[in-house]
Amino acid sequence: MVNDAKVDIRNLNIWFGDNHVLKDISFKIRENAVTAIMGPSGCGKTTLIRAINRMNELTYGCRTSGEVYIDGHNIYDGNINVYELRRKVGMVFQKPNPFPKSIYENVAFGPRIHKMANGRKLDEIVERSLREAALWDEVKDRLHDNAFNLSGGQQQRLCIARALALKPKIILMDEPCSALDPAATVKIEALIRRLSKSYTVIIVTHNLQQAARISDFTAFLYMGKLIEYGETKGVFENPRNELTEKYITGKFG
Amino acid sequence: MNRLIDIGLEQLSRLIFKMGDLSEKTVSLSFDCYLKGIDVYEKVQVWSETLVSLSEEAEDKIVELIVRYQPVASDLRTIKSYMKIAYDLSRYGRYAWDITHIHKRLNIKLNECRFPWMPLEEISGKVLEMVQASIEAIKKHDVDLAKTLNTMEREVDEIYYRCLDKLVEQSPPLTRCVVSTLLFIRHLERIADHAAYIGESVIYIVTGERISLR
Repeated sequence: MVNDAKVDIRNLNIWFGDNHVLKDISFKIRENAVTAIMGPSGCGKTTLIRAINRMNELTYGCRTSGEVYIDGHNIYDGNINVYELRRKVGMVFQKPNPFPKSIYENVAFGPRIHKMANGRKLDEIVERSLREAALWDEVKDRLHDNAFNLSGGQQQRLCIARALALKPKIILMDEPCSALDPAATVKIEALIRRLSKSYTVIIVTHNLQQAARISDFTAFLYMGKLIEYGETKGVFENPRNELTEKYITGKFG
Repeated sequence: MNRLIDIGLEQLSRLIFKMGDLSEKTVSLSFDCYLKGIDVYEKVQVWSETLVSLSEEAEDKIVELIVRYQPVASDLRTIKSYMKIAYDLSRYGRYAWDITHIHKRLNIKLNECRFPWMPLEEISGKVLEMVQASIEAIKKHDVDLAKTLNTMEREVDEIYYRCLDKLVEQSPPLTRCVVSTLLFIRHLERIADHAAYIGESVIYIVTGERISLR
């Protein structure tokens, strides 16, 4: 189904202590497309996307087996530079979490510590990232205001700009709209679609209609297992697995 | 616990089943009108119009369900198909009404136009059987029954084209009779097509597969 895979997950198992959270997950994620991961609370969605930038290992007691290939390289190989990996694989979280700094500094922070640029070059990166995140026009005259003065939706777009500033290849999003109102959600969704032209977007969402609206592919996880994965239209029109059918129609439990 | 959408789906199903029963009666009566000369013109007209308003009611209900619940998976397939089926059932009514027109319009008396070689009873019997099977298939979500419509539709087509060939051979004094018979079997053929469409919808609801029964 997915031939030009950006991410190729093979036999991925993750434990937190004795808790076997992900069970033998294998699937390929298409480049420059939006892939949604859905499933009930506790099914392993967040653990799955955090496996793609090795964030799980920051949690005590986490054990991983299997492989995750990005552009053909297994990111769990011993010789992988984790900081470089996380630069390539950006992440946006559920609640907007800007740094307690200015709008400008939020976006400049990453390129600066990665020593990517300074001066005029850094200004350019900040502008490009804010433009890509559809925030530039709203903040260009107050770049040095505190980021906390922005609305929730603007803060979330700022966090997306902050991720984009590092020129990632992949953007992971963990319920990026769940703390936002419908108007802000519409903007982020349109932005996600636009970003998917140049980035590989992987999004965890509880909102099924959001998955249906914005994703090209949908994966359904249940109790740590990948139950179904396919083109979004197919999954929502004619799911092949009975569990998927029950979950998306609300017949669960 | 019932889902909210189930209440709406239940109402919608009842509406479609009601249309099914009424359309079957309407078709059956129109055949009696043509074949036995029973005067049911007005009754069939009223029922046909009722079918149209029921189909509009179903459409309203469907739009409401989409707006409220954004249905997916089997809910989506059911709702989408019921929209189509409501239209197919209203067509049964419309063709039935047209059938009751024919003799009146052409001023033909019963038995004036019987071609002995024309198997009207056979073809109308088969078409009525298709109508009944299509409605039964909707009610029971019966894929196997829906699939039988394929064979029946082919049989109806086969008789229809055989009769067409013979009708064109008739000489001018019989023109009115040819037109009358032609209209009747043409409407029968269309009804059979809609029965097959309904069968396709039932299969899609249950399996998600889109297959042609024609």
